[in-house]
Amino acid sequence: MFQKSIIQDIITAALSTGGDFAEVFIEDKYNTNIALVGGKVENSISGRDYGIGIRIFQGLNSVYAYTNEHSRDKLIAVALEAAQAIKGQPINLNLSFNRQTFTNQHPIIHTPREVPKSKKVNVMREVYDIAKNYHELISQVSVAYKDEQQRVLIANSEGRFVEDERIRTRLAIQTVATRGNEMQTGSYLPGAHKGFEFLEQIDLQHYGQEAARIAVTMLNADECPSGKFPVIIDNEFGGVIFHEACGHGLEATSVAKKNSVFADRIGEQVAPSIVSYIDDGTLANEWGSANVDDEGEPTRRNVLIENGILKGYLIDKLGARRMGTDVTGSSRRESYKYAPTSRMTNTFIAPGKSTPEEIIANTEFGIYAKYMGGGSVNPATGDYNFAINEGYIVRNGKIAEPVRGATLIGNGPKTLQKVDMVGNNLAHGQGMCGSVSGSIPANVGQPMIRVSEITVGGRKGN
Amino acid sequence: MDILNFKDRLFNKGREYGFSDMELYYQSNGKFSTKIFKGEVDSYNLAIEGGVSFRGIYNGQMGYAYTEKINEEAISFLLEEAKENGKIIDSEDSEVIFAGSEHYEELTLFSEELASISADEKIALLKKVEAECFALSEKVSSVNYCLLESHDTEKMIANTKGLEKHERGNVVYTYLSVVVKDGDDIKSAGKLTLSRNFSMFDPIQLAKEVVDEALSALGASSIASKEYPIILKNTAAASLLQTFTSAFSADNVQKGKSRLAKKLDTTIANQLVTIVDDPFLTEGFMSRSFDSEGVATKRLQIVEDGVLKTYLHNLKTATKDNVESTGHGTKSSYKGTITVAPSNLYINPGQSTYEQLVENEPEALIITDLQGLHSGANPISGDFSLAANGYLVKNGQIERPVNQITIAGNFFTMLEQVESIADDLTFGLPMGGYVGSPSLKIKGLAVAGE
Repeated sequence: MFQKSIIQDIITAALSTGGDFAEVFIEDKYNTNIALVGGKVENSISGRDYGIGIRIFQGLNSVYAYTNEHSRDKLIAVALEAAQAIKGQPINLNLSFNRQTFTNQHPIIHTPREVPKSKKVNVMREVYDIAKNYHELISQVSVAYKDEQQRVLIANSEGRFVEDERIRTRLAIQTVATRGNEMQTGSYLPGAHKGFEFLEQIDLQHYGQEAARIAVTMLNADECPSGKFPVIIDNEFGGVIFHEACGHGLEATSVAKKNSVFADRIGEQVAPSIVSYIDDGTLANEWGSANVDDEGEPTRRNVLIENGILKGYLIDKLGARRMGTDVTGSSRRESYKYAPTSRMTNTFIAPGKSTPEEIIANTEFGIYAKYMGGGSVNPATGDYNFAINEGYIVRNGKIAEPVRGATLIGNGPKTLQKVDMVGNNLAHGQGMCGSVSGSIPANVGQPMIRVSEITVGGRKGN
Repeated sequence: MDILNFKDRLFNKGREYGFSDMELYYQSNGKFSTKIFKGEVDSYNLAIEGGVSFRGIYNGQMGYAYTEKINEEAISFLLEEAKENGKIIDSEDSEVIFAGSEHYEELTLFSEELASISADEKIALLKKVEAECFALSEKVSSVNYCLLESHDTEKMIANTKGLEKHERGNVVYTYLSVVVKDGDDIKSAGKLTLSRNFSMFDPIQLAKEVVDEALSALGASSIASKEYPIILKNTAAASLLQTFTSAFSADNVQKGKSRLAKKLDTTIANQLVTIVDDPFLTEGFMSRSFDSEGVATKRLQIVEDGVLKTYLHNLKTATKDNVESTGHGTKSSYKGTITVAPSNLYINPGQSTYEQLVENEPEALIITDLQGLHSGANPISGDFSLAANGYLVKNGQIERPVNQITIAGNFFTMLEQVESIADDLTFGLPMGGYVGSPSLKIKGLAVAGE
């Protein structure tokens, strides 16, 4: 991808003013986006992202520069300009790269660029028809297809030199159900660290029908009541609650500067003993997986909470310096345009013992969130909010009528303490997670769980 | 590689490939950003970035491709990809390459003075802001974001129909966020400030505003669930309006994704409400004299005294509705296809002051901050249910801060229930449009709390 000697020269230039660590991140990425609306392919764009990020540390100070320039001279000039922000004497650098190799944990069968676009469109049409024909109230269906092939080279002044390739494919099915002036929407967005085989393997019938069913169900739903209720959150994308409510608060991004409610609490009981929370970037071909993180560190399985006890954080190189600990293989970035920082990969609550049937049957009155929407959190306070895309009232241990427009709000650490049942049906959902180093693919996951009390905001009143 | 030279060779080669009309869009950005933490430069970022986007008509359909690696091989890459992309399009609404408008407004979007501000001056400003925050109160436990970013953007659009337009602009913005602590009670507040005039950044005022807001939230608690009259503070109103601007897009109307379909020339809001899109706004983040299709932009009244006057159009949606493009053909960057998006869109300010809105209320809720707009609000149906913070008003006075509540309603219903509008227009975070609002008094919204 790039000559070692050029990278060596860039690093040397970057360290010419007293920096104690420098890193080069080279990215070459092909993207395809196709949009099908109302049964017609409306647009299709493909392209190439290409650029280089240069990062320099001096103690806890960091400098980051990036460019799309690719000539040696221009890159050295950018490195020298970045180095001007550091003031000191150059340290003696004896740079020799040690190329790291590894076994690819995420094998690809069909590289997207080798698959004709017409084949991709055929799948989009198939899922369009499934969703459109699901019900007469479905008035509009949009299907978006996305694939990307990202090649990265990461080298640093400690001698690391590693290359990785990440291939991801995703389908986004969005539906609108209309009756008179009323409109409700449904969506499903499956994705994986896979090539075109992903679309050959998944159950299109399931995803297309579910996206349509959610919109139709919500059209027939009453407004959600508001108040404090027990809330049952189903598996898969339901895990977004803990992604927001505690995942972000466990990233060094907020922990290192003690801007997190979870800072300085290792070893403390932060959740009931039935809760274990794990981030695992090694899961084969999962949406948030990669062989190495964006600092070139092998990804790993990080146990964050074990039987309720806080065990660890997600830590990048700069966070590790500030915290005086080791990195955890969790440093990620959207692209060369961002300095990497600690982020989640595939984060999930470990399966418990209850069956989903038991959890429902044990709930006299509450809200059942079958599908969750997105949400956000303020890591400084732990206050979170997120939306229920498909919800129901649970009455006398049975799932009763559907309700719409519900938002869950609360405080992450407090909600965590109120988890009182954990199911045995762990599954993952795919999302895009936004934070300081950009928008990155991340899995959220959990089995069905029950929280004894969450504030539910709906429009019906109480 | 010289971009005009690149363009000529690309178009020549494109004709050999069989493209009829072609367009090249080029954008380059110089960026600088820095962040201060505890008196030290915590991060310092530089960027020179750019890319090109090609589109061309192949067999009657528009194919798109882009690249950030502008070199010799990019020419055949762009043409090959665009051709393959054009082949799979089967939409009947054809896109066109535009020959140009008759008149373009002359805008000054680049400030030499702003460009001359050094990195050291920017760092000094941030250090002053941070120090001021800590000096204001012992309860300030952390200044978690004290950052500044400056952009210098150049763009060009050129096509085989003879159009060639250039525009350059620069801007600086700061983001300040502080955390305050009182025992176990932790609150935070933040503010984005954006300008082309560096003297607009007053460190003392900025620090005071944010620290005061965070301190005033200490001791917040929830309130009883019921419907309250709402004073939607300008920042919160702007973020809510931002979420629903997609309803004004003719593209969404035509695709059955807008509740404003078939509502032209009808009353959709209280007669106090006038909504403007102004691409010529001096301090507008999205100001531009031409859109991403090369169409001249113009000032537009979208809603006039409560009546919906127009949708936002690009060339394709305009052809379909048999009207003229309003100059809202937008590409998020060279990586995007043409969509419809506002430039600087805002609700016209009214006559009352914000204080006047508050002092007339026997009981009301001020909403200062809304969260989860990307998930708790549905831009198609208009429904929203959002986590919120604010203050409880009793007898025209702020009684106490409020948190852990949601407010719920429907945006389109809410527009009809605007009862008065303040004179304090402000803009939110620029995201696919730079959207602003004054504070609004709303008849009532459902609040869920205790």
